[in-house]
Amino acid sequence: MSSDPIHVFDRRLVRHRRDRAAATIGQVAPVLEEAAERLLDRLDDITRRFGRALDLGGRGVVAPRLRARGIPFVVSMDLSPRMATAAGGLPLAGDEEALPFAPESFDLIVASLSLHWVNDLPGALVQIRRVLRPDGLFLASLPGFGTLQELREALAGAETALRGGLSPRVSPFPELVDLAGLLQRAGFALPVADAETLPIRYRSPLALLRDLRAAGETNAAVARDGRTPPRALLPMALAALPADAEGIPATLRLLTMTGWAPHESQSRPARPGSANARLADALGVEEGRLGERAGR
Amino acid sequence: MSDITKDAAPAGEVDPALLEILVCPLTKGPLRYDRAAGELISDQARLAYPIRDGIPIMLPDEARRLDD
Repeated sequence: MSSDPIHVFDRRLVRHRRDRAAATIGQVAPVLEEAAERLLDRLDDITRRFGRALDLGGRGVVAPRLRARGIPFVVSMDLSPRMATAAGGLPLAGDEEALPFAPESFDLIVASLSLHWVNDLPGALVQIRRVLRPDGLFLASLPGFGTLQELREALAGAETALRGGLSPRVSPFPELVDLAGLLQRAGFALPVADAETLPIRYRSPLALLRDLRAAGETNAAVARDGRTPPRALLPMALAALPADAEGIPATLRLLTMTGWAPHESQSRPARPGSANARLADALGVEEGRLGERAGR
Repeated sequence: MSDITKDAAPAGEVDPALLEILVCPLTKGPLRYDRAAGELISDQARLAYPIRDGIPIMLPDEARRLDD
């Protein structure tokens, strides 16, 4: 087990899970489609036309929608070759942590719920920005902190009771505040990050686990406990999930980020000292000395 | 599906428009397309990335190491 902060997820295991899930991904298509629709809705608010798109980990719900919006060239990359084949664009297997594209290859890159198994998200964002043309758009959603919180708490409670200790069983998710900063540090212009909540309900706890497995989204944390969990862990945790008349809640907190590859046509802050009017004049106040407090 | 598969080249062939933008994921250097072997070769990284069923596998740990 590694304590290297940048090596949180086992990428081979992620690839294996996605390979296996290629046959069952249809089971969770409604959730993936809903997330993709919400993400690609943002394109409809933009007047710019795109001609060359990269679909990262779209699992068959992103590339067809990009084509339907009139984008002629769509490439679909996935860590799993099998998943890439079914994605709908020109397929290739590749790793978001080592993108195999020449600089400025695309003017649109979309990652719908696909970057949460990436170890080095800042590094991946820098690479994504480099393969975008100037004024190209990066559009991504990922599950944020709060996602599957009900399951996380139920598993933690059961494991503490049975073993007197905890191991990570639900993947760690990023916070909203992290994302805009990451985009900015990766060199994106006009970075925006926002969050919304998709309340998903399951008829039974087992249906939730079945879907996570079908989606290839079960635990791939390097620090996961490799031992067979106590037999009572899962039943105990699942019984502890909050349930009401409508079923078991499984919250998906959807974080969305948009950023543009820098281009001179974009609005940007003026250079310091380039102003030709005093702020004090505009505000109709007397100019104070630097560091002096207002209202004295 | 026809509008999606029309871009797919015959078995083993990779779409030229895709080939044109591919680089070595490690060095970001150019790749040589060895059509006969079905490989994309990065001379800088000394790695050959396989093409399987027309799909370039651009994963360093799936690549064949080139011996000198």
